[in-house]
Amino acid sequence: MNITDLKRDETARIVSLGKIDQIFNKRLMDLGIYESATVVMLNKLSSNRLYVIEVDDIEICLRKEDAELIEVRK
Amino acid sequence: MIYLLAGNPNVGKSTFFNFMTQSHVHVGNYSGVTVEKRVHHVKHYEGANLVDLPGTYNVSPASEDEGVVTYSLLNESYNGIVNIIDSTHLRRNLHLTIQLLELGVPSLLVFNLKDALRNNGYVIDIEKIKDSLRVNAISISARERHHDDQTQIASEMQNLRITKALELDYHHTIKWGIQRIHDLLRYDVIQVKKKWLALQILEGNEGIFKFLNLVKEDKIREVIKEVEDRIIEEKVAFSLKGAIFNTRREFIDKIVRESLIKVEEKEHSKYFNQKIDRIITHPKFGIPIFFVIMLAIYQVSFGKFLGVGSFLTNYFDIFWNDYLVLYLGEALEFLGLTGFMYGLLIDGVMGGVGGILVFLPQIVVLFFMLAILEGTGYMARVAIVMDRFLSKFGFNGKSIVPIITGFGCSVPAIMATRTIADKKERILTILTIPFVSCSARLPIYGLFVSLFFTEYRAIIILGIYILGIIVTLLSAKLLNLSYFKGAGSKFLLEVPPYRVPQLRTITYQALEKAKRFVKKAGTFILVDSFKFYSFLVI
Repeated sequence: MNITDLKRDETARIVSLGKIDQIFNKRLMDLGIYESATVVMLNKLSSNRLYVIEVDDIEICLRKEDAELIEVRK
Repeated sequence: MIYLLAGNPNVGKSTFFNFMTQSHVHVGNYSGVTVEKRVHHVKHYEGANLVDLPGTYNVSPASEDEGVVTYSLLNESYNGIVNIIDSTHLRRNLHLTIQLLELGVPSLLVFNLKDALRNNGYVIDIEKIKDSLRVNAISISARERHHDDQTQIASEMQNLRITKALELDYHHTIKWGIQRIHDLLRYDVIQVKKKWLALQILEGNEGIFKFLNLVKEDKIREVIKEVEDRIIEEKVAFSLKGAIFNTRREFIDKIVRESLIKVEEKEHSKYFNQKIDRIITHPKFGIPIFFVIMLAIYQVSFGKFLGVGSFLTNYFDIFWNDYLVLYLGEALEFLGLTGFMYGLLIDGVMGGVGGILVFLPQIVVLFFMLAILEGTGYMARVAIVMDRFLSKFGFNGKSIVPIITGFGCSVPAIMATRTIADKKERILTILTIPFVSCSARLPIYGLFVSLFFTEYRAIIILGIYILGIIVTLLSAKLLNLSYFKGAGSKFLLEVPPYRVPQLRTITYQALEKAKRFVKKAGTFILVDSFKFYSFLVI
């Protein structure tokens, strides 16, 4: 499953960022999103087009098409 | 003595800089507000200068802005580094700290936002940090501006420990790569430690190749490739950068576990944030809410009802024309100046400059309210709200900040685009921002509107502004369909917590912008009024 399958306030573990291209991967890492990180789905905004997730107390907003590439396991 | 001030974006770096140097730089609750490098004297420390570097998550450059940090570390002379850290986001902030400590330069770690951390129910054990990282450290709240903090920081800066470079236990393949690159660097003259440089190169810091002409660049690139392949082959991580990142993260985890102490159980404020976010960024109401807020701001600045701006402008007008110009005229007559000189000064200069200056109160009010919006963290939400709409024109949600800044002045607006990571979107934003009506055009609009209309002035001015926005959007679309065709875009935004903005910072910000406006508009108008009047008479 990917991150967009999580319901609001659900927690999961990131298992793979392999589908994401390198440049974006680096930006995610800079913000603290990494494989094996625990992620909380905080909010789904703009008719489920944007997702606000939390990793280590940092809140990050990303688009659906990018969020779908982040694979998670509950 | 020169100290570099480094830190993540939006951690109160500019607030700290203002606090320690008693001079102001632009402060905002939005990542990447500081876009220029600034140098100021340090308080209570004779002969010391602090260099304010742009906020960065990482030494290795992801955007133009972050390149400045690598460049400064490699090429500038400095005696130490002051690393400012957001105590409420330790895990992410410490990644930069680790990279700076690996450099082995005397450093002071300033753990900012002590009060916010305490409100979450935590404190930092500074002694523990000092012990485990063998570095000077202090915990403060820069926005509270305690005098004691100031003197203590100054004294810590004067007594920085000479630290040995921090060495983490990276995977043996990475260590092997560091050694190989280190050997290849032996022909180069570099002011930083070559081990550090080698690790940065492995991490993918392209800035190093850009700023230094390494003799064995091709060989070094081969080594990177080899290490990367081996890391993936041995299943250490999915990428070389990931492997380095993971080692650092484990080290950071240990530090945070040891030194972050829970003192009180607190309900996290984020649930409150989430509720507000859901309203403010509502798919249907988000944009209308934004427009209502903007309309209210323009109404207060330029309208009649609730018109603080117009009210002040009225009085300014009376002061200028009925007092200043009157008495100046009398004084000139008393001195015996009549004819051309009298006309030039009174009708030309005072009339011309006055025609612009009467709008100043309105502009200050506008700047003041925009600064409040920026300070609360609402702008980040506007970026979220506008992303869907703006992405249709090839913009990014983040473009909204430069666009809004563009209403003040195009120059800082274009500088603010540096926070947009994607190059295509950044250039697109830069190219189209000049269509947004900047404040210098406002007097002209004001003049037209007051000449041709007697009612609905605020709405008409807003209308002209909207027309500017439409032109901006259409030209962006046009560029997106032609020159920038095909490139996909990304949106990645750190959502800052809501903060109550400080009156002090906001007032300063508004006045600073107003000053720049007067300087720029004033000088042009002054020269032009001279010319204009002279042509008129001759």
